[in-house]
Amino acid sequence: MNTSAKTYILPACVLLLMTLLVATSARAGDKVVYRLKWLRNVSVVGALYAENHGLFKKAGLDVEVKAGGPERDAIRELELGYADFGEASADQVLRARAKGAPVVVIAQLFQVNPLQWMYRPEETRIDALADLRDKVIGVTFGGNDETIMNTLLAEAGLGSGDVRLFSVRYDYTPFYRRQVQLWPVYRNAQAPLIAAQLKKAGEATAFFNPEEFGVKFVANCVVTTERTLKEKPELVKRLLTALLAGWQQALAPENQEAAISTLQKYDPDTPRPTLEEQLKITRGLIQPDAAVAIGTIDEKGWEQTGRIMRTQKQLAGEVDLKAILRPVGGGAE
Amino acid sequence: MLPRRVFQFLIIYFLFLCGLMALKYGLALSDYVIPAPVGIYHTLIAEYRQYSLATMNTMTVAVIGQVISVGMALVIGIAGRQSTWLGSFIKVAAFNFQAYPIVALAPILFILLGDGFLTRLLIAAMICYFPVLLSVLGIMSKPVDDIEHFYRVTGRMRWQLEVKIRTFENLTQLTTVIAGSATLAMAGTIVGEFIAANAGIGYSIRIALYQSDLGKILIALFLIGITIAVYQALLESLGVVIKRAWTGR
Repeated sequence: MNTSAKTYILPACVLLLMTLLVATSARAGDKVVYRLKWLRNVSVVGALYAENHGLFKKAGLDVEVKAGGPERDAIRELELGYADFGEASADQVLRARAKGAPVVVIAQLFQVNPLQWMYRPEETRIDALADLRDKVIGVTFGGNDETIMNTLLAEAGLGSGDVRLFSVRYDYTPFYRRQVQLWPVYRNAQAPLIAAQLKKAGEATAFFNPEEFGVKFVANCVVTTERTLKEKPELVKRLLTALLAGWQQALAPENQEAAISTLQKYDPDTPRPTLEEQLKITRGLIQPDAAVAIGTIDEKGWEQTGRIMRTQKQLAGEVDLKAILRPVGGGAE
Repeated sequence: MLPRRVFQFLIIYFLFLCGLMALKYGLALSDYVIPAPVGIYHTLIAEYRQYSLATMNTMTVAVIGQVISVGMALVIGIAGRQSTWLGSFIKVAAFNFQAYPIVALAPILFILLGDGFLTRLLIAAMICYFPVLLSVLGIMSKPVDDIEHFYRVTGRMRWQLEVKIRTFENLTQLTTVIAGSATLAMAGTIVGEFIAANAGIGYSIRIALYQSDLGKILIALFLIGITIAVYQALLESLGVVIKRAWTGR
Protein backbone atom coordinates (compact mmCIF):
# COMPACT_ATOMS: atom_id res chain seq x y z
CA MET A 1 0.00 0.00 0.00
CA ASN A 2 1.45 3.38 -0.89
CA THR A 3 1.88 6.20 1.63
CA SER A 4 -0.89 8.32 0.18
CA ALA A 5 -3.44 5.48 0.57
CA LYS A 6 -2.33 4.90 4.19
CA THR A 7 -2.74 8.63 4.90
CA TYR A 8 -6.39 8.57 3.87
CA ILE A 9 -7.52 5.09 5.00
CA LEU A 10 -6.76 5.55 8.73
CA PRO A 11 -8.65 8.85 9.21
CA ALA A 12 -11.53 7.46 7.11
CA CYS A 13 -11.79 4.40 9.41
CA VAL A 14 -11.75 6.63 12.52
CA LEU A 15 -14.44 8.83 11.02
CA LEU A 16 -16.59 5.80 10.13
CA LEU A 17 -16.18 4.40 13.65
CA MET A 18 -17.18 7.73 15.22
CA THR A 19 -20.22 7.99 12.93
CA LEU A 20 -21.29 4.48 13.93
CA LEU A 21 -20.84 5.30 17.62
CA VAL A 22 -22.89 8.48 17.33
CA ALA A 23 -25.61 6.68 15.35
CA THR A 24 -25.77 3.86 17.90
CA SER A 25 -26.00 6.21 20.88
CA ALA A 26 -28.77 8.22 19.18
CA ARG A 27 -30.76 5.04 18.71
CA ALA A 28 -30.30 4.10 22.38
CA GLY A 29 -32.88 6.72 23.44
CA ASP A 30 -34.71 9.75 22.10
CA LYS A 31 -32.34 12.66 22.46
CA VAL A 32 -33.89 15.55 24.35
CA VAL A 33 -32.46 18.84 25.66
CA TYR A 34 -34.00 20.16 28.90
CA ARG A 35 -33.07 23.72 29.87
CA LEU A 36 -33.33 24.47 33.57
CA LYS A 37 -34.55 27.82 34.88
CA TRP A 38 -31.58 28.34 37.14
CA LEU A 39 -28.18 26.92 38.11
CA ARG A 40 -28.00 23.34 39.39
CA ASN A 41 -29.28 23.75 42.93
CA VAL A 42 -32.19 22.66 45.12
CA SER A 43 -34.73 24.55 42.98
CA VAL A 44 -34.16 22.03 40.17
CA VAL A 45 -33.47 18.97 42.32
CA GLY A 46 -36.20 16.90 40.61
CA ALA A 47 -34.56 17.15 37.19
CA LEU A 48 -31.12 16.48 38.68
CA TYR A 49 -32.45 13.43 40.52
CA ALA A 50 -34.13 12.05 37.39
CA GLU A 51 -30.91 12.56 35.44
CA ASN A 52 -28.62 11.02 38.06
CA HIS A 53 -30.82 8.11 39.05
CA GLY A 54 -31.54 6.90 35.53
CA LEU A 55 -35.25 7.85 35.48
CA PHE A 56 -34.96 9.46 32.06
CA LYS A 57 -33.05 6.43 30.73
CA LYS A 58 -35.74 4.09 32.06
CA ALA A 59 -38.25 6.09 30.08
CA GLY A 60 -36.13 5.50 26.96
CA LEU A 61 -34.89 9.08 26.87
CA ASP A 62 -31.39 10.47 26.46
CA VAL A 63 -31.92 13.79 28.23
CA GLU A 64 -29.26 16.47 28.33
CA VAL A 65 -30.08 18.66 31.32
CA LYS A 66 -28.55 22.10 30.80
CA ALA A 67 -28.10 24.65 33.57
CA GLY A 68 -30.04 27.87 33.32
CA GLY A 69 -29.15 31.30 34.62
CA PRO A 70 -30.04 34.96 34.39
CA GLU A 71 -28.99 35.19 30.77
CA ARG A 72 -30.75 31.98 29.69
CA ASP A 73 -34.30 31.97 28.42
CA ALA A 74 -35.76 28.50 27.87
CA ILE A 75 -38.66 29.87 25.78
CA ARG A 76 -36.31 31.50 23.26
CA GLU A 77 -34.25 28.31 23.13
CA LEU A 78 -37.37 26.22 22.45
CA GLU A 79 -38.26 28.44 19.52
CA LEU A 80 -34.73 28.48 18.15
CA GLY A 81 -34.52 24.69 18.46
CA TYR A 82 -31.71 24.66 21.04
CA ALA A 83 -33.92 22.92 23.60
CA ASP A 84 -36.97 20.64 23.48
CA PHE A 85 -38.26 21.26 26.98
CA GLY A 86 -37.43 23.77 29.65
CA GLU A 87 -38.46 25.64 32.75
CA ALA A 88 -39.90 29.15 32.75
CA SER A 89 -41.86 31.29 35.17
CA ALA A 90 -45.46 32.31 34.47
CA ASP A 91 -44.57 35.93 33.68
CA GLN A 92 -42.05 34.78 31.05
CA VAL A 93 -44.65 32.48 29.49
CA LEU A 94 -47.35 35.17 29.44
CA ARG A 95 -45.02 37.77 27.91
CA ALA A 96 -43.83 35.27 25.31
CA ARG A 97 -47.37 34.19 24.36
CA ALA A 98 -48.47 37.83 24.10
CA LYS A 99 -45.71 38.23 21.50
CA GLY A 100 -46.69 35.14 19.55
CA ALA A 101 -44.25 32.55 20.91
CA PRO A 102 -45.72 29.04 20.50
CA VAL A 103 -44.94 28.00 24.08
CA VAL A 104 -47.21 25.78 26.20
CA VAL A 105 -47.10 24.82 29.87
CA ILE A 106 -47.33 21.10 30.55
CA ALA A 107 -46.77 21.13 34.33
CA GLN A 108 -46.31 23.56 37.18
CA LEU A 109 -43.42 22.77 39.49
CA PHE A 110 -43.78 25.30 42.32
CA GLN A 111 -47.25 25.46 43.87
CA VAL A 112 -46.01 28.22 46.21
CA ASN A 113 -43.73 30.91 44.78
CA PRO A 114 -40.33 30.64 46.52
CA LEU A 115 -39.77 34.39 46.08
CA GLN A 116 -40.37 35.89 49.52
CA TRP A 117 -38.94 38.68 51.67
CA MET A 118 -36.64 38.06 54.60
CA TYR A 119 -36.64 40.34 57.67
CA ARG A 120 -35.48 40.52 61.27
CA PRO A 121 -38.49 39.78 63.54
CA GLU A 122 -36.97 41.61 66.52
CA GLU A 123 -37.02 44.85 64.49
CA THR A 124 -39.88 44.41 62.04
CA ARG A 125 -43.36 42.94 62.31
CA ILE A 126 -45.49 42.22 59.26
CA ASP A 127 -48.93 41.07 60.41
CA ALA A 128 -50.85 43.02 57.81
CA LEU A 129 -49.95 44.67 54.50
CA ALA A 130 -50.33 48.08 56.15
CA ASP A 131 -47.24 47.18 58.23
CA LEU A 132 -45.15 47.73 55.08
CA ARG A 133 -45.60 51.50 55.50
CA ASP A 134 -42.34 53.44 56.05
CA LYS A 135 -40.24 50.33 55.50
CA VAL A 136 -37.12 50.11 53.31
CA ILE A 137 -37.92 47.21 50.97
CA GLY A 138 -35.46 45.55 48.62
CA VAL A 139 -36.66 44.85 45.06
CA THR A 140 -34.95 43.91 41.81
CA PHE A 141 -36.15 46.66 39.50
CA GLY A 142 -37.63 45.02 36.42
CA GLY A 143 -37.83 41.65 38.19
CA ASN A 144 -40.77 39.59 39.46
CA ASP A 145 -40.26 40.82 42.99
CA GLU A 146 -40.88 44.42 41.91
CA THR A 147 -44.14 43.38 40.24
CA ILE A 148 -45.24 41.38 43.30
CA MET A 149 -44.28 44.15 45.75
CA ASN A 150 -46.07 46.83 43.70
CA THR A 151 -49.19 44.64 43.76
CA LEU A 152 -48.92 44.20 47.54
CA LEU A 153 -48.46 47.94 48.05
CA ALA A 154 -51.46 48.67 45.82
CA GLU A 155 -53.52 46.14 47.83
CA ALA A 156 -52.45 47.93 51.02
CA GLY A 157 -53.33 51.30 49.51
CA LEU A 158 -49.72 52.46 49.88
CA GLY A 159 -48.16 54.81 47.38
CA SER A 160 -44.55 55.33 46.31
CA GLY A 161 -44.09 57.91 49.09
CA ASP A 162 -45.15 55.49 51.82
CA VAL A 163 -42.23 53.07 51.45
CA ARG A 164 -38.69 53.26 50.13
CA LEU A 165 -37.83 50.71 47.45
CA PHE A 166 -34.15 49.76 47.45
CA SER A 167 -32.49 48.30 44.35
CA VAL A 168 -31.01 44.89 45.19
CA ARG A 169 -28.15 42.93 43.65
CA TYR A 170 -26.66 39.53 44.40
CA ASP A 171 -24.78 41.10 47.28
CA TYR A 172 -26.62 40.97 50.62
CA THR A 173 -24.47 43.57 52.39
CA PRO A 174 -27.23 46.23 52.62
CA PHE A 175 -29.41 43.70 54.47
CA TYR A 176 -26.58 42.57 56.73
CA ARG A 177 -25.83 46.24 57.46
CA ARG A 178 -29.52 46.88 58.25
CA GLN A 179 -29.85 49.47 55.49
CA VAL A 180 -32.79 47.48 54.16
CA GLN A 181 -35.50 45.93 56.33
CA LEU A 182 -37.07 43.48 53.89
CA TRP A 183 -34.84 41.66 51.41
CA PRO A 184 -36.14 39.45 48.56
CA VAL A 185 -34.82 35.88 48.62
CA TYR A 186 -35.65 32.50 47.18
CA ARG A 187 -37.10 30.91 50.30
CA ASN A 188 -35.72 27.43 49.55
CA ALA A 189 -32.33 28.26 48.03
CA GLN A 190 -30.82 31.53 49.34
CA ALA A 191 -32.79 31.97 52.55
CA PRO A 192 -31.32 28.98 54.50
CA LEU A 193 -27.80 30.21 53.63
CA ILE A 194 -28.45 33.78 54.79
CA ALA A 195 -30.42 32.62 57.82
CA ALA A 196 -27.47 30.41 58.83
CA GLN A 197 -25.10 33.40 58.55
CA LEU A 198 -27.37 35.56 60.67
CA LYS A 199 -27.89 32.79 63.21
CA LYS A 200 -24.12 32.74 63.76
CA ALA A 201 -24.42 36.41 64.72
CA GLY A 202 -27.31 35.55 67.06
CA GLU A 203 -29.98 37.07 64.82
CA ALA A 204 -33.34 35.50 64.05
CA THR A 205 -35.05 35.67 60.66
CA ALA A 206 -38.65 35.64 59.49
CA PHE A 207 -40.27 35.61 56.05
CA PHE A 208 -42.93 37.69 54.39
CA ASN A 209 -44.79 35.43 51.97
CA PRO A 210 -47.05 37.36 49.51
CA GLU A 211 -49.34 34.33 49.14
CA GLU A 212 -50.34 34.65 52.79
CA PHE A 213 -51.69 38.09 51.88
CA GLY A 214 -53.60 36.86 48.85
CA VAL A 215 -51.07 37.61 46.10
CA LYS A 216 -50.30 34.55 44.02
CA PHE A 217 -47.70 34.85 41.27
CA VAL A 218 -46.92 31.53 39.61
CA ALA A 219 -43.24 30.53 39.48
CA ASN A 220 -41.39 27.75 37.61
CA CYS A 221 -43.28 25.55 35.14
CA VAL A 222 -42.30 22.95 32.57
CA VAL A 223 -42.67 24.27 29.04
CA THR A 224 -42.41 23.01 25.49
CA THR A 225 -43.66 24.12 22.08
CA GLU A 226 -47.14 23.58 20.64
CA ARG A 227 -45.51 21.65 17.82
CA THR A 228 -43.69 19.20 20.11
CA LEU A 229 -46.89 18.64 22.08
CA LYS A 230 -48.89 18.04 18.92
CA GLU A 231 -46.38 15.96 16.97
CA LYS A 232 -44.76 13.99 19.81
CA PRO A 233 -47.38 13.58 22.55
CA GLU A 234 -45.91 10.26 23.61
CA LEU A 235 -42.42 11.76 24.03
CA VAL A 236 -43.88 14.66 26.06
CA LYS A 237 -45.71 12.23 28.33
CA ARG A 238 -42.62 10.06 28.83
CA LEU A 239 -40.43 13.04 29.68
CA LEU A 240 -42.94 14.55 32.07
CA THR A 241 -43.59 11.23 33.82
CA ALA A 242 -39.86 10.69 34.37
CA LEU A 243 -39.32 14.30 35.45
CA LEU A 244 -42.18 14.35 37.93
CA ALA A 245 -41.08 10.97 39.26
CA GLY A 246 -37.68 12.61 39.78
CA TRP A 247 -39.33 15.34 41.85
CA GLN A 248 -41.46 12.83 43.73
CA GLN A 249 -38.46 10.68 44.65
CA ALA A 250 -36.10 13.57 45.39
CA LEU A 251 -38.57 15.07 47.86
CA ALA A 252 -39.59 11.81 49.52
CA PRO A 253 -38.14 11.80 53.08
CA GLU A 254 -36.93 8.21 52.67
CA ASN A 255 -34.79 9.30 49.67
CA GLN A 256 -33.24 12.31 51.41
CA GLU A 257 -29.77 10.76 51.46
CA ALA A 258 -29.83 10.14 47.71
CA ALA A 259 -31.23 13.61 47.00
CA ILE A 260 -28.53 15.27 49.11
CA SER A 261 -25.81 13.25 47.39
CA THR A 262 -27.18 14.43 44.06
CA LEU A 263 -27.13 18.06 45.18
CA GLN A 264 -23.63 17.73 46.66
CA LYS A 265 -22.38 16.57 43.28
CA TYR A 266 -23.10 20.04 41.88
CA ASP A 267 -22.89 22.08 45.06
CA PRO A 268 -20.11 20.59 47.22
CA ASP A 269 -19.57 23.79 49.25
CA THR A 270 -22.98 24.12 50.87
CA PRO A 271 -22.93 22.45 54.31
CA ARG A 272 -25.04 19.35 54.66
CA PRO A 273 -27.42 20.77 57.32
CA THR A 274 -28.16 23.69 54.97
CA LEU A 275 -28.88 21.29 52.10
CA GLU A 276 -31.23 19.33 54.37
CA GLU A 277 -32.99 22.57 55.29
CA GLN A 278 -33.21 23.61 51.62
CA LEU A 279 -34.71 20.27 50.68
CA LYS A 280 -37.24 20.42 53.52
CA ILE A 281 -38.42 23.89 52.50
CA THR A 282 -38.58 22.88 48.83
CA ARG A 283 -40.94 20.02 49.74
CA GLY A 284 -43.43 22.53 51.13
CA LEU A 285 -43.24 24.70 48.03
CA ILE A 286 -43.56 21.92 45.45
CA GLN A 287 -46.25 19.90 47.22
CA PRO A 288 -47.82 21.93 50.03
CA ASP A 289 -50.90 19.71 49.97
CA ALA A 290 -50.41 15.93 49.74
CA ALA A 291 -53.78 15.66 47.96
CA VAL A 292 -52.52 17.77 45.06
CA ALA A 293 -50.16 15.90 42.73
CA ILE A 294 -46.73 17.33 41.93
CA GLY A 295 -46.92 19.18 38.63
CA THR A 296 -50.56 20.24 38.96
CA ILE A 297 -51.30 23.48 37.14
CA ASP A 298 -52.95 26.05 39.39
CA GLU A 299 -55.30 27.79 36.94
CA LYS A 300 -56.51 30.32 39.49
CA GLY A 301 -52.92 31.24 40.25
CA TRP A 302 -52.32 31.76 36.51
CA GLU A 303 -55.41 33.94 36.22
CA GLN A 304 -54.19 36.10 39.09
CA THR A 305 -50.68 36.31 37.63
CA GLY A 306 -52.18 37.52 34.33
CA ARG A 307 -54.32 40.08 36.15
CA ILE A 308 -51.33 41.39 38.12
CA MET A 309 -49.26 41.77 34.96
CA ARG A 310 -52.04 43.62 33.16
CA THR A 311 -52.54 45.97 36.12
CA GLN A 312 -48.80 46.64 36.21
CA LYS A 313 -48.93 47.31 32.44
CA GLN A 314 -46.59 44.42 31.69
CA LEU A 315 -49.16 42.77 29.46
CA ALA A 316 -51.11 44.76 26.89
CA GLY A 317 -54.21 42.58 26.77
CA GLU A 318 -55.81 39.28 27.67
CA VAL A 319 -53.88 36.09 26.96
CA ASP A 320 -55.85 32.93 26.29
CA LEU A 321 -54.87 30.70 29.22
CA LYS A 322 -56.64 27.67 27.70
CA ALA A 323 -54.17 27.77 24.81
CA ILE A 324 -51.22 28.02 27.18
CA LEU A 325 -52.05 25.60 29.98
CA ARG A 326 -51.95 22.09 28.56
CA PRO A 327 -51.57 19.60 31.42
CA VAL A 328 -50.33 16.29 30.13
CA GLY A 329 -50.69 14.33 33.35
CA GLY A 330 -47.28 13.00 34.21
CA GLY A 331 -48.83 10.98 36.98
CA ALA A 332 -46.73 11.77 40.04
CA GLU A 333 -49.10 11.55 42.96
CA MET B 1 -15.78 63.96 10.31
CA LEU B 2 -18.95 64.01 12.47
CA PRO B 3 -21.54 63.39 9.72
CA ARG B 4 -19.33 60.65 8.24
CA ARG B 5 -19.03 58.85 11.59
CA VAL B 6 -22.79 59.04 12.23
CA PHE B 7 -23.57 57.90 8.69
CA GLN B 8 -21.16 54.96 9.01
CA PHE B 9 -22.75 53.96 12.31
CA LEU B 10 -26.24 54.12 10.78
CA ILE B 11 -25.12 51.82 7.96
CA ILE B 12 -23.70 49.30 10.46
CA TYR B 13 -26.78 49.43 12.70
CA PHE B 14 -29.27 49.03 9.88
CA LEU B 15 -27.24 46.16 8.37
CA PHE B 16 -27.39 44.53 11.80
CA LEU B 17 -31.15 45.09 11.98
CA CYS B 18 -31.59 43.72 8.44
CA GLY B 19 -29.63 40.62 9.50
CA LEU B 20 -31.92 40.15 12.50
CA MET B 21 -35.03 40.60 10.36
CA ALA B 22 -33.72 38.11 7.78
CA LEU B 23 -33.27 35.63 10.64
CA LYS B 24 -36.70 36.40 12.10
CA TYR B 25 -38.65 36.01 8.87
CA GLY B 26 -36.38 33.27 7.48
CA LEU B 27 -36.95 31.07 10.53
CA ALA B 28 -40.51 32.34 11.24
CA LEU B 29 -39.54 33.44 14.75
CA SER B 30 -42.06 35.13 17.05
CA ASP B 31 -41.84 38.74 18.22
CA TYR B 32 -40.69 37.39 21.57
CA VAL B 33 -37.42 36.13 20.09
CA ILE B 34 -36.89 39.02 17.65
CA PRO B 35 -39.38 41.91 17.64
CA ALA B 36 -40.95 43.03 14.37
CA PRO B 37 -39.96 46.43 12.87
CA VAL B 38 -43.32 47.89 13.99
CA GLY B 39 -42.68 46.67 17.55
CA ILE B 40 -39.20 48.23 17.53
CA TYR B 41 -40.70 51.50 16.28
CA HIS B 42 -43.34 51.49 19.03
CA THR B 43 -40.65 50.79 21.64
CA LEU B 44 -38.59 53.66 20.23
CA ILE B 45 -41.52 56.05 20.57
CA ALA B 46 -42.32 54.83 24.10
CA GLU B 47 -38.79 54.71 25.46
CA TYR B 48 -36.92 57.32 23.44
CA ARG B 49 -36.95 60.06 26.07
CA GLN B 50 -36.13 57.89 29.07
CA TYR B 51 -33.42 55.92 27.24
CA SER B 52 -31.83 59.09 25.79
CA LEU B 53 -31.53 60.56 29.28
CA ALA B 54 -30.10 57.28 30.57
CA THR B 55 -27.56 57.23 27.69
CA MET B 56 -26.53 60.82 28.45
CA ASN B 57 -26.12 59.86 32.09
CA THR B 58 -23.88 56.94 31.10
CA MET B 59 -21.95 59.10 28.63
CA THR B 60 -21.23 61.71 31.31
CA VAL B 61 -19.75 59.06 33.59
CA ALA B 62 -17.84 57.54 30.65
CA VAL B 63 -16.28 60.90 29.70
CA ILE B 64 -15.18 61.61 33.27
CA GLY B 65 -13.90 58.02 33.57
CA GLN B 66 -11.97 58.40 30.33
CA VAL B 67 -10.37 61.67 31.43
CA ILE B 68 -9.29 60.02 34.70
CA SER B 69 -7.98 56.92 32.94
CA VAL B 70 -6.06 58.92 30.32
CA GLY B 71 -4.57 61.02 33.13
CA MET B 72 -3.69 57.86 35.07
CA ALA B 73 -2.21 56.20 31.99
CA LEU B 74 -0.10 59.27 31.18
CA VAL B 75 1.25 59.53 34.72
CA ILE B 76 1.99 55.79 35.00
CA GLY B 77 3.26 55.62 31.40
CA ILE B 78 5.66 58.53 31.92
CA ALA B 79 6.82 57.24 35.31
CA GLY B 80 7.23 53.72 34.01
CA ARG B 81 8.94 54.62 30.71
CA GLN B 82 12.47 54.23 32.08
CA SER B 83 14.18 50.88 32.35
CA THR B 84 15.02 51.54 36.00
CA TRP B 85 13.87 49.40 38.96
CA LEU B 86 11.07 51.88 39.73
CA GLY B 87 9.97 51.97 36.09
CA SER B 88 9.83 48.19 35.97
CA PHE B 89 7.99 48.05 39.32
CA ILE B 90 5.33 50.49 38.09
CA LYS B 91 4.86 48.44 34.91
CA VAL B 92 4.50 45.17 36.86
CA ALA B 93 2.02 46.77 39.28
CA ALA B 94 -0.04 48.24 36.44
CA PHE B 95 -0.08 44.92 34.53
CA ASN B 96 -1.00 42.89 37.63
CA PHE B 97 -3.79 45.25 38.54
CA GLN B 98 -5.25 44.73 35.08
CA ALA B 99 -5.10 40.94 35.45
CA TYR B 100 -7.99 40.93 37.94
CA PRO B 101 -11.33 40.68 36.16
CA ILE B 102 -13.59 43.59 36.95
CA VAL B 103 -16.47 41.29 37.93
CA ALA B 104 -14.28 39.91 40.71
CA LEU B 105 -13.37 43.38 41.97
CA ALA B 106 -16.86 44.81 41.58
CA PRO B 107 -18.31 43.34 44.81
CA ILE B 108 -15.45 44.91 46.78
CA LEU B 109 -16.08 48.27 45.09
CA PHE B 110 -19.77 47.84 45.75
CA ILE B 111 -19.20 47.24 49.48
CA LEU B 112 -16.76 50.15 49.77
CA LEU B 113 -18.49 52.70 47.57
CA GLY B 114 -22.11 51.59 47.26
CA ASP B 115 -23.99 51.35 43.98
CA GLY B 116 -23.76 54.95 42.92
CA PHE B 117 -21.74 57.29 40.74
CA LEU B 118 -18.27 56.52 42.16
CA THR B 119 -18.49 52.77 41.52
CA ARG B 120 -19.53 53.32 37.90
CA LEU B 121 -16.78 55.88 37.44
CA LEU B 122 -14.08 53.66 38.88
CA ILE B 123 -15.13 50.63 36.80
CA ALA B 124 -15.22 52.78 33.64
CA ALA B 125 -11.77 54.17 34.37
CA MET B 126 -10.34 50.72 35.17
CA ILE B 127 -11.59 49.16 31.94
CA CYS B 128 -10.52 52.11 29.82
CA TYR B 129 -7.09 52.89 31.20
CA PHE B 130 -5.09 49.78 30.33
CA PRO B 131 -5.06 50.03 26.50
CA VAL B 132 -4.17 53.72 26.84
CA LEU B 133 -1.43 52.81 29.31
CA LEU B 134 0.03 50.22 26.92
CA SER B 135 0.18 52.79 24.13
CA VAL B 136 1.64 55.48 26.39
CA LEU B 137 4.25 53.03 27.70
CA GLY B 138 5.08 51.99 24.14
CA ILE B 139 5.40 55.59 22.97
CA MET B 140 7.26 56.86 26.01
CA SER B 141 9.71 53.94 26.16
CA LYS B 142 10.81 54.37 22.55
CA PRO B 143 13.47 57.07 22.07
CA VAL B 144 13.26 59.39 19.06
CA ASP B 145 17.02 59.15 18.46
CA ASP B 146 17.27 61.69 15.60
CA ILE B 147 16.06 64.51 17.85
CA GLU B 148 16.93 63.30 21.35
CA HIS B 149 20.60 62.63 20.40
CA PHE B 150 21.25 66.39 19.97
CA TYR B 151 19.87 67.29 23.39
CA ARG B 152 21.70 64.43 25.06
CA VAL B 153 25.14 65.27 23.67
CA THR B 154 24.64 68.94 24.51
CA GLY B 155 23.52 67.98 28.06
CA ARG B 156 20.21 69.80 27.76
CA MET B 157 17.92 66.82 27.98
CA ARG B 158 15.37 66.93 30.83
CA TRP B 159 12.54 64.44 31.40
CA GLN B 160 9.90 67.04 30.49
CA LEU B 161 11.62 67.62 27.15
CA GLU B 162 11.91 63.88 26.53
CA VAL B 163 8.17 63.42 27.14
CA LYS B 164 7.37 66.39 24.94
CA ILE B 165 9.48 65.11 22.02
CA ARG B 166 8.01 61.61 22.19
CA THR B 167 4.45 62.93 22.50
CA PHE B 168 4.92 65.31 19.57
CA GLU B 169 6.41 62.62 17.33
CA ASN B 170 3.56 60.18 18.13
CA LEU B 171 0.67 62.62 18.34
CA THR B 172 -1.45 60.90 15.66
CA GLN B 173 -1.08 57.51 17.34
CA LEU B 174 -1.88 58.98 20.75
CA THR B 175 -4.98 60.77 19.45
CA THR B 176 -6.24 57.58 17.78
CA VAL B 177 -5.74 55.57 21.00
CA ILE B 178 -7.52 58.18 23.12
CA ALA B 179 -10.43 58.40 20.65
CA GLY B 180 -10.62 54.60 20.56
CA SER B 181 -10.59 54.37 24.34
CA ALA B 182 -13.89 56.28 24.40
CA THR B 183 -15.58 53.02 23.34
CA LEU B 184 -13.91 51.21 26.23
CA ALA B 185 -14.92 53.91 28.69
CA MET B 186 -18.52 53.59 27.54
CA ALA B 187 -18.36 49.79 27.69
CA GLY B 188 -16.79 50.01 31.16
CA THR B 189 -19.51 52.31 32.42
CA ILE B 190 -22.22 50.03 31.06
CA VAL B 191 -20.57 47.02 32.74
CA GLY B 192 -20.47 49.02 35.98
CA GLU B 193 -24.15 49.87 35.62
CA PHE B 194 -24.96 46.21 35.07
CA ILE B 195 -23.19 45.23 38.25
CA ALA B 196 -23.79 48.14 40.58
CA ALA B 197 -25.91 51.13 39.65
CA ASN B 198 -29.34 52.62 39.87
CA ALA B 199 -29.05 54.74 36.75
CA GLY B 200 -27.67 54.79 33.22
CA ILE B 201 -28.35 52.87 30.06
CA GLY B 202 -26.62 49.71 31.39
CA TYR B 203 -29.12 49.66 34.23
CA SER B 204 -31.99 50.12 31.73
CA ILE B 205 -30.64 47.21 29.66
CA ARG B 206 -30.53 45.05 32.79
CA ILE B 207 -34.20 45.77 33.46
CA ALA B 208 -35.06 45.06 29.80
CA LEU B 209 -33.22 41.73 30.10
CA TYR B 210 -35.30 40.82 33.14
CA GLN B 211 -38.40 41.53 31.06
CA SER B 212 -37.03 39.61 28.04
CA ASP B 213 -37.64 42.71 25.90
CA LEU B 214 -35.24 42.64 22.96
CA GLY B 215 -36.94 45.71 21.43
CA LYS B 216 -35.76 47.87 24.34
CA ILE B 217 -32.27 46.42 24.09
CA LEU B 218 -32.12 47.24 20.35
CA ILE B 219 -33.15 50.84 21.09
CA ALA B 220 -30.52 51.06 23.84
CA LEU B 221 -27.85 49.72 21.45
CA PHE B 222 -28.85 52.30 18.85
CA LEU B 223 -28.55 55.17 21.33
CA ILE B 224 -25.25 53.88 22.73
CA GLY B 225 -23.81 53.48 19.23
CA ILE B 226 -24.82 56.90 17.98
CA THR B 227 -23.58 58.61 21.15
CA ILE B 228 -20.19 56.91 20.89
CA ALA B 229 -19.96 57.78 17.17
CA VAL B 230 -20.57 61.46 17.94
CA TYR B 231 -18.17 61.50 20.88
CA GLN B 232 -15.40 59.75 18.94
CA ALA B 233 -15.81 62.16 16.05
CA LEU B 234 -15.55 65.08 18.48
CA LEU B 235 -12.38 63.61 20.02
CA GLU B 236 -10.83 63.11 16.59
CA SER B 237 -11.68 66.69 15.64
CA LEU B 238 -10.14 67.86 18.91
CA GLY B 239 -7.02 65.85 18.10
CA VAL B 240 -6.76 67.56 14.70
CA VAL B 241 -7.16 71.00 16.31
CA ILE B 242 -4.46 70.25 18.92
CA LYS B 243 -2.10 68.92 16.28
CA ARG B 244 -2.68 71.96 14.08
CA ALA B 245 -2.07 74.33 16.98
CA TRP B 246 1.09 72.51 18.00
CA THR B 247 2.63 71.92 14.60
CA GLY B 248 1.22 74.95 12.82
CA ARG B 249 0.11 72.61 9.98
